[in-house]
Amino acid sequence: MSVIYVLIPLAVIIIAIALGVFFWAVKSNQFDDLERQGHSILFDDDIEPSDAKKTASDPSERK
Amino acid sequence: MSIEIPRGACYHCGLPNLESDHFPVVVNDVLQHMCCPGCQAVSQAIVDNGLASYYEFRTETAARGDTVLDTTLSQLAVYDEPELQQEFVFDEGKHKQIQLTVEGISCAACAWLIEKQLAKLEGIKQVSVNVSARRAMVSWDDSVLKLSGVLSKLKSIGYTSLPFQADTHEASFKKEQKSFIKKLGLAGIMTMQVMMLAMAQYFDVLGNIDADAIAYFNAVSLLLTTPVVLYSGSIFYVSALKAIQAKTVNMDVPVTIAIIATYIAGVMSVNSNVGEVYFESICMFIFFLLIGRYLEHRSRHKATLISSNMLKLIPVTANKKQNDEYTAVLAKQLQINDIVLVKAGETVPIDGVIVEGKSTFDESMLSGEFNPVTKSIGQQVYAGSLNQQGAISIQVSATLKHAMMNQILRLQESAMANKPKMAAIADKLSRYFVVVVLLVSAATYSFWSLQGDPHAFWITISVLVATCPCALGLATPSALTCAMARLNQMGILLKRADALEQLTHTTDIVFDKTGTLTEGKFSIQKQWINNTQVDTAENELAETDAFSQTEETLSSNKHKLHQQFVLSLAFALEQRSEHPIAIAFSQSYQKALESDSADSLPKLENVKIDIGKGISACYSDKEVLIGSAKYVLEHKAIKANNEIRKAVDGANVLLALDQELIAAFWVTDTVQSDARQIIQALSSYKLMILSGDTQQNADEVAAQVNIKHVVGDSPPDAKLDYIKNLQANNKSILMLGDGINDAPVLAAADVSVAVGNASDLAKNAADVVLLNPKLQSLVDLLTMAQRSKRKIKQNIAWALSYNILVLPFAMSGLLTPWQAALGMSLSSIIVVYNSTRLLK
Repeated sequence: MSVIYVLIPLAVIIIAIALGVFFWAVKSNQFDDLERQGHSILFDDDIEPSDAKKTASDPSERK
Repeated sequence: MSIEIPRGACYHCGLPNLESDHFPVVVNDVLQHMCCPGCQAVSQAIVDNGLASYYEFRTETAARGDTVLDTTLSQLAVYDEPELQQEFVFDEGKHKQIQLTVEGISCAACAWLIEKQLAKLEGIKQVSVNVSARRAMVSWDDSVLKLSGVLSKLKSIGYTSLPFQADTHEASFKKEQKSFIKKLGLAGIMTMQVMMLAMAQYFDVLGNIDADAIAYFNAVSLLLTTPVVLYSGSIFYVSALKAIQAKTVNMDVPVTIAIIATYIAGVMSVNSNVGEVYFESICMFIFFLLIGRYLEHRSRHKATLISSNMLKLIPVTANKKQNDEYTAVLAKQLQINDIVLVKAGETVPIDGVIVEGKSTFDESMLSGEFNPVTKSIGQQVYAGSLNQQGAISIQVSATLKHAMMNQILRLQESAMANKPKMAAIADKLSRYFVVVVLLVSAATYSFWSLQGDPHAFWITISVLVATCPCALGLATPSALTCAMARLNQMGILLKRADALEQLTHTTDIVFDKTGTLTEGKFSIQKQWINNTQVDTAENELAETDAFSQTEETLSSNKHKLHQQFVLSLAFALEQRSEHPIAIAFSQSYQKALESDSADSLPKLENVKIDIGKGISACYSDKEVLIGSAKYVLEHKAIKANNEIRKAVDGANVLLALDQELIAAFWVTDTVQSDARQIIQALSSYKLMILSGDTQQNADEVAAQVNIKHVVGDSPPDAKLDYIKNLQANNKSILMLGDGINDAPVLAAADVSVAVGNASDLAKNAADVVLLNPKLQSLVDLLTMAQRSKRKIKQNIAWALSYNILVLPFAMSGLLTPWQAALGMSLSSIIVVYNSTRLLK
């Protein structure tokens, strides 16, 4: 049982860190739009432009 | 995830596609068809930029593409003016920052599309799009990129964006919102921790816990509870203090007593190591109360966001004459006596007197009257009216601040301030309730302490917690929030959440005429044709050029041909005119063409236009005249006997050929197709038309839609007086309007609705904005108001009966504080669940 004397304070410290992160997130406007972020993961940034355009304007090819 | 586009609809905007396969775009390797060049251009731009996954994940269709892209792009250049930018652009050292309202954001996919698209522009530093507020925050490097470049890039993918002025309330709302989220988050996380420690003791999960461990648990709980009580709960104490200072009580008074008393008792028992602690109850109590408050705050916050999006900043520019040259300046910089050029088709930028030229003006935005007014040298023109024909020069007679339009705006502001206020039902109820709760608690405490019961204190706390009217407090806001969300989906924006509650008290519905009941477009309502005259004219024609039919077909199809001939002749003449009435003729001619019943156009010579009066021309050596009744009838050579004069009485366009009247047209504004049906559905209210147009025109529309009370000839201030008069007789008014002239009445009415294509000023004044031009939305709105009122009543009934039911248990000491807090929370959850049923 004596292990709880260590574990609980440890938990309290972790909670304090979590709260710190949460407050920072609120402060940096991450909770401004609650509708949108759930969808963010779905969008694929890597879809290639159509072939004709690709040769002309794809910046990744210059690398 | 993505939406289904029905067959035969535009892949981009989802509207019916009447052009089949004229506008194809390959999206994600599949050939898709669009309905118009606008949608095609937007869609192609999206695909070419590698953003096609927008179509995969969007949950709403896009707004329809704008076909006249090029002209709007050039207009955006005005936003690069430094004078204009200083009002809404923030300098951040090297970069500039701006907030834009973006029209057409419908789902999360739009936000992604906008961010990706803008990020490709060189010079853009940061873009963040907020879907619920329909706004974007953009930072850019002004030396590389112009603001108009940002706006036109957005336009090219189908979003119209404009700078706007944030509402003054908004900044404070936003700050509160953040502090709410922090308080809620802290309370939530801590409640879980404290609950964990408490559960161990409730159910003896850890077996027999020794006294030391319990003391330790309690100490940790106290540590975790302290920030919740001091920080998260602070809003309740502040509000309770304010109420007490104002010598009244509110819901927060018993809440504060319960929280602070329980906390202090807890602290004491942790110190002395005797007695009970209820830290988990405090945390849970604060957490659930905060959820309710947060919901309420959010619904009000959303309403302000929507209303400040309406305050778009559209700069008015003017062509100012300087040393025989014209330069574009901002209208607000103009001084009295400056000379300004207004071209045909432009909006007059400022009040002034005409010094050169003659034209007709559409003043419907100011007066509500749709018929254009002819004005020439020496006459006053007003900012906001539309110059329909020739170019004119005006001498500025009042600076923009004192322009007619701004005077109407001020009238609206003062009307808004005097709007009748309604105390929310729940607020009044909870005040009585709180007094009862406090009295009952005091009675309970004194009874049990007289009995010598050591639990007297905890029993009293149970009473306070169990009867906490927080479900009662949630009853209204939760229902209103859900109703607002549902209405939003239906294209009805509420700018004030409590407008729904007021809607249910409506006794009278007052309609504006032009643009509300009618479409605000001219069309031919009725025509009269002088048979004998056309007959002879046609017979002669048959011999001359246009007609090649034989005498026989002529007589068999006589009546139909009369009509065709008259319509073709009228159209041929009206084609030369820019008068809005002329459009009515082209519409009916187009219709006739489609049904194959129109003739080729007759040839006209010597066409002369008398602005604001009519048109004369030569047709196969005979004089033809078309124009206003006055113009045609008073023309020198027209013969018309009394019988004919009677037949054409009231017609506003007459057609004469060879000195004889051959036709008359009644050209008026078209009544909305569904107006009659909607009016019928609203028959339980007292309906009224209040119009700035003439009494006669108003009467006509009223007869068509079956409304009995009509008041015409009312300028904005007369409308306002009329409404105030009704309100003085204890009527609750629902006003519908669209024009600038309606803005003051909209602001004064108990609830006001801006319809379809309303002017920004009207949208700004109204409580509700219908995005859909169909009047059906009005019925939906009223139905939803009734439904949400029913839900609010159910919620209040449940909350009160739960509290009354639980009171005897709490008073008799059968209920411990934690059970009381749990029951209170369950009661709140039931209320919220009941409200969410409005979403369906």
